[in-house]
Amino acid sequence: MDPAAQIDHQFVVAAYTITWVLQLGYLAWLGLKWRTEKRAEDRRTHKTR
Amino acid sequence: MKKAAIGLYVVLTLALMVWGYYQAIYVAPNDAMQGEISHIFYYHVPNAMLAFLFFAISLAGSIGFLSWRRSHPERAQISDAWALAGAEVGVVFCSVVLTTGPLWGRRAWGIWWTWDARLTTTLVLWLIYVSYLLLRRFAAGPQVQTLAAVLGIFGALDVPIVYMSNRWWRTQHPAPVFGGGPDSGIKDPRMLAAFGWNVLAWAAWGLLVLFLRYQVERKHQRNAAAEAQEALEANV
Repeated sequence: MDPAAQIDHQFVVAAYTITWVLQLGYLAWLGLKWRTEKRAEDRRTHKTR
Repeated sequence: MKKAAIGLYVVLTLALMVWGYYQAIYVAPNDAMQGEISHIFYYHVPNAMLAFLFFAISLAGSIGFLSWRRSHPERAQISDAWALAGAEVGVVFCSVVLTTGPLWGRRAWGIWWTWDARLTTTLVLWLIYVSYLLLRRFAAGPQVQTLAAVLGIFGALDVPIVYMSNRWWRTQHPAPVFGGGPDSGIKDPRMLAAFGWNVLAWAAWGLLVLFLRYQVERKHQRNAAAEAQEALEANV
């Protein structure tokens, strides 16, 4: 494989990987935030019972 | 029923993402001038388009909050949740644009970054919305939502400037793909199909994440309101 084409390929892989790392990382953070809010809600409803 | 519909939407979104990836990598041909590096286009451009959409949602939410904050408090809170969700998801999509762009630029132009109008205005847009999120995260007090809404409206003013920048000024960044003159547009039908599928896939993904973020913020608002009520009752 031509070295320039090989570097192009690596850059495409890097771009697609970074995209997914950012998107899935944000989704994971959102999941943690959801869990925190859910626990706070559960604690509150538990207290008022 | 509602859970089944959400489950179906998630499955459909994941299928679209896989199909979009397949189209972008295996079906769309290499660009005659740029070679394989041009495949970054199928992630870079849809993410930019959707970042604009989410900032527009944030703008609508900010306007809604300012309009209803006195007359309809509940409606204002809903608007504020949409404004925050739009800004945050918009920043994620804009971050993708600002990282995939330099990777493409390094191979296509030989440089990672240049201070041309399109790149600079996009960076400014990202910085404005990052400051919006920092304001919401670290500022306290009853005026935070109002201040954030004003900042959100000013931030959105940069969106049309980013969009028009490579029409108004001479830039290193390529001419607009659509509506940029007689030579613009995607000529190869396989490239056009891959681009269309990826726009659809990223839109489905983005709307799913936006909806999740909105739900989390509504939950947070309800928890904060209940805690404030409890604190008031404890003091009485």
